[in-house]
Amino acid sequence: MTTAKTILEVQNLKKYYSSSKGLFTSLRKTTNFIPAVDDVSFYIKENETMGLVGETGCGKTTIGKTVLKLTPPTAGRILYDGKDITGLSQAGFRPYRKQMQMIFQDLDAALNPKMRIRSILKEALTVHERPSDAQVDRRIAELLEMVNLKKGKLNNFPGELSGGEKRRVGIARSLAVDPRFVVADEPTSALDVSIQAQVVNLLRDLQQRLKLSYLFISHDLRVVELISHKVAVMYLGQIVEMGMAGKIASAPRHPYTAVLWSSLVDKTTGEGKSVVSDLEGQHWGVFDFERPTTGCRFAPRCPVYEVKGRPPFCTNPGTPPELHRVGEAHMVRCHYPLQ
Amino acid sequence: MTDGPVLKIENLYTYFYTRSRQAFIRSVDGVHLEIEKGQTLGIVGESGSGKSVTALSVMGLVTAEPGVISGKVGLKTANVQKNLLQDLSEYVKTATITGRIMDVYKDNRRWQKNVDRVMRGIRGREISMIFQNPKLSMNPFTSVGRQIQESILLNTAVRSAAEARDRALYWLEKVRIDSPRLRYDNNPYGLSGGMCQRAMIAMALSSEPSLLIADEPTTGLDATIQSKIVELLQEIKTTVGVTTMLISHDIDVIRALSDQVAVMYGGTILEHGPADAILSGAMAQSHPYTAALMASIPNREQIRTKAYLQAIKGEVLDTINLPEGCRFYPRCEQVTDRIQEHCRLREPGLLSISNGHRIRCWRYQQ
Repeated sequence: MTTAKTILEVQNLKKYYSSSKGLFTSLRKTTNFIPAVDDVSFYIKENETMGLVGETGCGKTTIGKTVLKLTPPTAGRILYDGKDITGLSQAGFRPYRKQMQMIFQDLDAALNPKMRIRSILKEALTVHERPSDAQVDRRIAELLEMVNLKKGKLNNFPGELSGGEKRRVGIARSLAVDPRFVVADEPTSALDVSIQAQVVNLLRDLQQRLKLSYLFISHDLRVVELISHKVAVMYLGQIVEMGMAGKIASAPRHPYTAVLWSSLVDKTTGEGKSVVSDLEGQHWGVFDFERPTTGCRFAPRCPVYEVKGRPPFCTNPGTPPELHRVGEAHMVRCHYPLQ
Repeated sequence: MTDGPVLKIENLYTYFYTRSRQAFIRSVDGVHLEIEKGQTLGIVGESGSGKSVTALSVMGLVTAEPGVISGKVGLKTANVQKNLLQDLSEYVKTATITGRIMDVYKDNRRWQKNVDRVMRGIRGREISMIFQNPKLSMNPFTSVGRQIQESILLNTAVRSAAEARDRALYWLEKVRIDSPRLRYDNNPYGLSGGMCQRAMIAMALSSEPSLLIADEPTTGLDATIQSKIVELLQEIKTTVGVTTMLISHDIDVIRALSDQVAVMYGGTILEHGPADAILSGAMAQSHPYTAALMASIPNREQIRTKAYLQAIKGEVLDTINLPEGCRFYPRCEQVTDRIQEHCRLREPGLLSISNGHRIRCWRYQQ
């Protein structure tokens, strides 16, 4: 792990969406910006998986898309294999496109319903190169073998496949061009439990065989913990905690992470009492409008903030918490990290 | 408990016809269920196993053809005691080949009229339902409070609007919506997903039903919100004590809330019994499918050691071409030489293995 080189590095990435809706907003001088991703930095090493977790709308998918240049960043730098790819044109980015792929979340939208599986896979193969028909056939057979899909399914349309099979086709298509880095956006959501386990095993298998690096985006905490080497927890566009997967899950330092993982424990009959329920979990989740929203973004929902008697330091706009080191390869964005 | 189950489903069959494949989807294929008063029955199963269709059949909300074709749904509450599918056989003719229904004729238009007549005064009043997507199930143009008020006026003894409003506020408070007076005038789209689900639960409870059907009440919510809704349902279970049929594919949710559990697969119940017995995951005392399902969820030990998950091989059952024998046979890994013939050729019946715990598997027969 120590000698592995960094395959992807993201520095101070920002992505703001303007919230100008309607006819008359263009007449206004100011536009409201929604900071979907706000100053995010991380790196992924070769053959490593980084899990990205957080609630809906916290900017997980936006990071995935921005990293692959599917949408341009507002600010920040993306380095792939040591080279800055932020400013590259679409044409200039093409050679990298082959090495960086995405497994999409919604396969009903991502697979063309009017194309047979064979054509879908063939299109992925021929878009970057000009292989002969025989080569295409051989490669498709290889891909099918890789993802455990029956050959008979090649003539089917996506609509005729089950959820698990569609997921396999999606994975096969992403792997068609021999990528080194894959963004997996919620690859197990919307799958049944029994199929989910198959897909998780498959993704881990493929990582071993093909030396892939994953950016694994999911809100399923157990799967993230299982598959990832390190985990970044996001809240409202910012990374609030980052560290090794086991550490994040067992000894979280940020109150949000603790709440997130305890929500998992609560439902099962309580294997291990959580830190937060001791911290009066009742305050959690009740979004109090009287609490200020400047400074720390999590303060309005934070149990620690409540227990400490709402210290003004937390919500002072001049002193927002910075991501700082609290242990070996463990970063937290909190003024009062948990012990 | 002496006055028998609140809801007793017997031999329920609900099929759908697919024109493209010219065959029946056997969504619900002979389901037996019972819910005792004050208890929560959790129905767990993968997508397409017939959980939701069972619930919709009870509510008489299946409109696709042919829909419910036979069975008995006995509802027994303080005010009502009847079979919700009465006279069904007058509207349906079926042809069976080797014990399986192969052709159905149903006068659906007249049946729908009959259902609406039978269900009047039951839907909403005796049985209410929490749907999966609260924002789609509520009227987007009316405020949340008004909708609850309307439901109270329609379904309870309350007759004055002002009183109904107070009742609505009481229920909004009960489901822990903060500042209910402000929220009363919010439209569903002004509420967050979790909030909206709370309002939906308030609406379902406001008519003080004898039976609550919760169809995937936490699906599509974030993990943190999800656990809050589960907590709320737990609280309601103790304070309101309503008899509940809880449908979910999330075993954790089922575990947290159920007294009894039914495991569905391919339109039938594979296992039915006390929650602890079924969800313990012990291979010796449960159906192979349940055990495999439990094993495919990553547990703490597996996460810690980064072990491989025990996946169930194969795909979810296609209910059009049912296997001849046990429905789970093609994916089952517990088949032994002794029972292999049976598994392949004959469908096992639900066999009681201990008090109230029934399993549909050849391993436990003989």
